[in-house]
Amino acid sequence: MAKAISKIKRYEVSREDQVEQDVREVKEAVADNKDSILKGIELMKALDNGGTLDSVTAFVKAKDEALANVVKEIDKDQYEPLLRNLPELVFLLGEINVTGIRDLSSRLNHGLEAMEGEGTTDKTSFFDLAKALKDPEINRSITMLLHFLKGMGR
Amino acid sequence: MNEHTVVTINGKEFLAEPGQNLLQLMNEAEEQVPQICYNESLGPIQTCDTCIVQVDGELTRACGTSVKAGMKVQTKLPHVHKAQKESLDRILEKHELYCTVCDYNNGSCEIHNTMAEFGLEHQSRPFQPTSYEKDNSGSFYRYDPDQCILCGRCVEVCQDVQVNETLTIDWDRKEPRVIWDNDVPIDESSCVNCGQCSTVCPCNAMMEKGMEGDAGFLTDTEPGILKSMINLTKKVETGYGPLFAVSDTEAAMREEVIEKEKTVCTYCGVGCSFDVWTKGREILKVEPSAESPANGISTCVKGKFGWDYVNSEERLQKPLIRRGDHFEEVEWDEAIAHVADRMTQIKEEKGADHLAFISSSKATNEESYVMQKLARQVIGTNNVDNCSRYCQAPATKGLFRTVGYGGDSGSIDDIASSKLVLTIGSNTAESHPVLASRIKRSQKLFGQKLFVFDLRKHEMAKRADRFYQPKTGTDLVWLSAVAKYILDQGWEDQSFLNEWVNGFDEYRESLEPFTMEYASELTGIPEQELKDVAKEIAHSESVVVCWAMGVTQHMLGSDTSTAISNLLLITGNYGKPGTGAYPLRGHNNVQGCSDFGSMPNFFPGYEATSDDEVRARYEKAWDATIPKEAGMDNHEMIEAIHNGELSMMYVMGEDTGIVDANINYVTDAFEKLDLFIVQDLFLTKTAEYADVVLPASPSLEKEGTFTNTERRIQRLYQSFEPLEGTKPDWQIIQLIAKELGRDWNYQHPSEIMHEAAGLAPLFAGVHYDRLEGYKSLQWPVAEDGSDQPLLFTEGFPFEDKKAKLYPLTYEMKYDTNEEYDLHVNNGRLLEHFHEGNMTYKSEGIRRKTPNAFIEVSKELAKERGIEEGAEVKLISEAGEASGVVTVTDRVRGKEIFLPLNDNGKSAINFLTDNRVDKDTNTPAYKEIAVKMKVLKKKGKSPIPHNNHRRGNPVPQKGVKVQEKWKREDYIFPGKGGR
Repeated sequence: MAKAISKIKRYEVSREDQVEQDVREVKEAVADNKDSILKGIELMKALDNGGTLDSVTAFVKAKDEALANVVKEIDKDQYEPLLRNLPELVFLLGEINVTGIRDLSSRLNHGLEAMEGEGTTDKTSFFDLAKALKDPEINRSITMLLHFLKGMGR
Repeated sequence: MNEHTVVTINGKEFLAEPGQNLLQLMNEAEEQVPQICYNESLGPIQTCDTCIVQVDGELTRACGTSVKAGMKVQTKLPHVHKAQKESLDRILEKHELYCTVCDYNNGSCEIHNTMAEFGLEHQSRPFQPTSYEKDNSGSFYRYDPDQCILCGRCVEVCQDVQVNETLTIDWDRKEPRVIWDNDVPIDESSCVNCGQCSTVCPCNAMMEKGMEGDAGFLTDTEPGILKSMINLTKKVETGYGPLFAVSDTEAAMREEVIEKEKTVCTYCGVGCSFDVWTKGREILKVEPSAESPANGISTCVKGKFGWDYVNSEERLQKPLIRRGDHFEEVEWDEAIAHVADRMTQIKEEKGADHLAFISSSKATNEESYVMQKLARQVIGTNNVDNCSRYCQAPATKGLFRTVGYGGDSGSIDDIASSKLVLTIGSNTAESHPVLASRIKRSQKLFGQKLFVFDLRKHEMAKRADRFYQPKTGTDLVWLSAVAKYILDQGWEDQSFLNEWVNGFDEYRESLEPFTMEYASELTGIPEQELKDVAKEIAHSESVVVCWAMGVTQHMLGSDTSTAISNLLLITGNYGKPGTGAYPLRGHNNVQGCSDFGSMPNFFPGYEATSDDEVRARYEKAWDATIPKEAGMDNHEMIEAIHNGELSMMYVMGEDTGIVDANINYVTDAFEKLDLFIVQDLFLTKTAEYADVVLPASPSLEKEGTFTNTERRIQRLYQSFEPLEGTKPDWQIIQLIAKELGRDWNYQHPSEIMHEAAGLAPLFAGVHYDRLEGYKSLQWPVAEDGSDQPLLFTEGFPFEDKKAKLYPLTYEMKYDTNEEYDLHVNNGRLLEHFHEGNMTYKSEGIRRKTPNAFIEVSKELAKERGIEEGAEVKLISEAGEASGVVTVTDRVRGKEIFLPLNDNGKSAINFLTDNRVDKDTNTPAYKEIAVKMKVLKKKGKSPIPHNNHRRGNPVPQKGVKVQEKWKREDYIFPGKGGR
């Protein structure tokens, strides 16, 4: 005679058995994905060395709060011009001739180097100036400057 | 004489169908324009004005134009483009673009995609919010007026596809918006939560609550911050280009975490299919598509929102073995070994026929197949049956007698396209909601006639062109009388009869007693009315008859089904589009479960066990000896237990102890079994009697196929892994078979299907490759994969290809009497399924419909002095049930309605007895006489204030865009201005 029953005695897994089973599952997963996991460890190491791991951890833990703070702050009116500028800056970057700038900045660096050497204490007379124009390096600089001024005036 | 309709679009010529919609033609021709309100499944709505083109020099909406020969269309001229842009700008005035933090940003937002495709870079006019609040009141979806663009798709679908007629747009107010009924909150309205408004909404205005705050990476943020983020996304934008780039990236990232798998619904025989969106085990939403063969974009509340049971805390997660007064959870190995040992022992001691198996109409075809294989091959008995015994076996019988195939004659499309639909004993709108909507739509928009024969004035009855309430159990009489009258008048389809039908003379003679006078007297329907019905049926171009449990669950269920088929035969309503017999299958796979052999007398594909050739085929394939004689059906099994002739029963996915008739008798039988195995998701009432309970996995956790009422075989895919500790039914059965010495070694359900297809000629061409995605097959399927959406186009499956008229007699066997003076009718509620093991797990459903209730007529309430909320006890000869009363005009006189969806004290089957259909042993659930004892005269209504039955629908056709055009502030975008 099997009467209706609804009481269930739960199957109890001991803590040890559960741990053992979980470890087995993890071990299998590790074995199946050995290469990825080793690469992952490399990545973690790299992050940790630069201190990045700590900051990321802290940020993730406080993610919601951080996001809320940032978003609420940045939504204030005073930032509006900044926010509007940001994308404009991005577009500006797109328009600038980066190779040209790089070329120019390396020249600027050379100029600075030369200045560092002897240029800060000496005085220059008009005659020196005229003489200097014959120096091919100075002449090239002056010519470039003149062209730049011309272009800017357009 | 077909004239060619040539239309020139942007200088190129295209051939159109005469009268074709211009926008549809343009889409086919890939000359696309924006089209936000247009949806293929809904047709033109004409609210958004974005598809403006120039037709013969005039600017006009493409979707509102039918093509004419010689038409010249321009879509790209500057002023056309300008008008389109104006329309799009107007939409963005109503809809704020914050895509990255929007839950609808899943790659399918039609506003987003249209704007991006059009290349709209800047918003000319600012977004203007409305003064309305979001409506979050409903269980399952919410409405945000500030995101709503008033495209009216939701209204179209509610009015003309679902035809629940709840939604309208009030174009007259200053700020038009979508309203529910006469402007009440969603929760208080007549909304049945079919969810189709949220399916067709092109954006996030009408959205499933499961999606809210869950779909995106950044959308799960508290409202204040979300608002800041929305502002932020707008400040940073310098145009839509970058905004779209960011949101598109985010949408692509979502693809990584959101799975979208197709499944087939488990809630009724319509067989709706849809994608289930999941994140882990969490269900975000159910998304039907136009490709879904049975339902298109439609769903009902259960299919769209009723899936909570899958993640219910009450799911069993370990096999249980009865030990003393309790169950003990055990490991699978132990449970399977125990089951196999005990089965072997019983078989050896008492013989194979002491074991019996019951398959589930909720399980897959493959699972039905392996269950009967377990019975026949491994055990060696034909004692295998399924729950179709409880419902549609009589219909199958009636069709086998007359036309040879036990399934719907055609497709749901045939029902929709028929000129005249008769429903008999079918509460279609609640039991087969999506199919009912097809009828409701055809009747509302396309002039289809609907005649309803039912005891109860349910929704379909209220909508019907003719509605009759024949006295219970007398359908056979009026059907036969109508047939006789048609023949007497000479209105029969003589050529059809000559060509396709046998047995006319004998049938003609059998009709003699069924005079109009006799029928009118027995059924209570006036003679003239019956004559009118006969005339309409005889003269209608096409007739479809849908029937359900109101016909089959009677002592004459098979005969009445036969009478329906006879009537269709004499009027030639078989084998043509829009005609035929449609016994609407109740459960998702009740058709397939029988199709694939879980029947005591049939192998898969309805081949008799007694057929030596067939049996030899299976014996060879399975290397086994199979008994010739038919086994026991469900009903006989219970009786056999009482007689000591059956010692073991294995029930898969069926709460037999609730759903079988006369449950006191059934559960008494369970107590007498030596071994009772129940396989289910939950510890059901039936499982409480079990010796072993095996925890199974539901449809979303497995693959397989279901067969719907149209004989349509469809695949389901796995949405997520089985819940830990559970297994799909086919795997459990396979483990038992292996333990019993038969190693089937199926790796995937496809292997089971391909074995079945190789053995059963009816399914010869069924192959998983042919069922990929939304593809489906309607049996019979020939080896080359060709199927038969419409049966009998080339004759009937008998030797001479002719159908048979089957003579019938009638004898009144059931009636109420002086003591048991009330008739109890029973059936489904829209929002619940079966005994409720699944749907009562849904909080959203439960808060609106927490329990079953007893419907009592106004007359009876008055006579007994009871009011709404009264508590009564119903007492039949078999038992008693009690519940709370609602007084309603849905029932009349001394008829009472009790929904079958309850497993507590209100369970209907405490009342039912052992009466069965004489031909199939289907319980006569619908023949219960009771007396009523009043426990409490009045009380709290069992129908909560937020139940849709209390709502007030507002029927109209479509969204009434003309009223938008009439507004003073509306200017057609082509006219400049604004």
